[in-house]
Amino acid sequence: MAAAVASRLTAAICRQFQRVVTVSSHTQPQYATQALSKFHSCQPRQMYDSWWFRSSMNNRALHTSCVRKGLEEFFDLPENWGEQTVKSGAPWTAKQLRVKSNEDLHKLWYVLLKEKNMLLTSEQEAKRQRLPMPSPERLKKVERSMKRLDTVVKEREDALRLLQTGQEKGRPGEWRRNVFGKTFWYRFREHPIPWYLNSRYKRRRFFEPSHVAPYTRLSLEKYLRSKIRKEKRDKRNQKRFAAMFPKKTALA
Amino acid sequence: MAKRIIYPLYQLGNPQLRLFRPTFNLTLVRPGKEQPPDTVQFRIPMEMTKFDVRNYLEKIYSVPVAAVRTRIQYCTNKKRNHLNQRVKRPDYKVAYVQLAQQQTFQFPDIFPEKDKKHEEGSVEEMQEKFMEDERQRQKPDPRRGGVTEWFGL
Repeated sequence: MAAAVASRLTAAICRQFQRVVTVSSHTQPQYATQALSKFHSCQPRQMYDSWWFRSSMNNRALHTSCVRKGLEEFFDLPENWGEQTVKSGAPWTAKQLRVKSNEDLHKLWYVLLKEKNMLLTSEQEAKRQRLPMPSPERLKKVERSMKRLDTVVKEREDALRLLQTGQEKGRPGEWRRNVFGKTFWYRFREHPIPWYLNSRYKRRRFFEPSHVAPYTRLSLEKYLRSKIRKEKRDKRNQKRFAAMFPKKTALA
Repeated sequence: MAKRIIYPLYQLGNPQLRLFRPTFNLTLVRPGKEQPPDTVQFRIPMEMTKFDVRNYLEKIYSVPVAAVRTRIQYCTNKKRNHLNQRVKRPDYKVAYVQLAQQQTFQFPDIFPEKDKKHEEGSVEEMQEKFMEDERQRQKPDPRRGGVTEWFGL
């Protein structure tokens, strides 16, 4: 199963031109076993998805040596040291990530995390040496990929929770009115003691005092006024545009 | 996930809190002062502890860790911008990690000097050639033996 996963992973993604890897189960079984035994440190790097390199033409050996027991992963490949630009593919889109299984997403998260650490190391060292960092757009790409991955995982969690329990939100909460008269969604926190023993919580008032009530009414009136004005404005504009561009000219 | 993360409350007997998909980023930095050969210096987020750093390195990078020491670096709030407002440089936490199994680590040179070879007929090549010619023209006459033009004749 892990071998199939590894082969699927590596067949689907690549990082740069030089390090495209396609591991098919029948050609290189030793890589699959290596992936099984030393998973985290010898994982082939698959941050960026460039589908046009998924062909089996480029087949270069994996960087699977674990010298330095992993501290080397904080740095780029040695052949990229000193380059002005480093080639990288496009970031992961949410659409591509939704196709992946949960295990794949979990592994991809750690791959992206390690890549981000490497880029941050490179950025800091560049600042230290007062040199430009090669290809800083990689950082943005990785951040966006991670954010989208998080979105996809949250979607799946939400769906599961809705199906199993019917709860819409993971964290319970309720509508409350604060001291200023504003209604807001208060999210609960976990406490070891009940609220009536919590002196700091009791100082936080969730009701509006009587002298604030007129101001709530005024702000409500302001909000309604602006809403009505907007509707009237839209209607007026619509009439004006209908007069300026009658339907006859559109059809002709 | 980037907003304020509140961890579940811990009371005696609760299971160990496990984080899946951590959002912590470690930055390996070159030490400012000379460090022992087995010490690696990291910049870590403020919320991380020594135990977190140890588990992170051991589980994700499989680096054997013997000891971790941390400190918080306070950065200045004294600098002012063009509107005379005080600008805070963000604080950061530094972790000094000592490797186990008598391993050593030397921060490598990530930006070595490389000879750039421009392709034939490109703009950069012509620019380089032009700059070379300019430099050659600006050089003083070698027959004067280092004496400047100020001294006549």
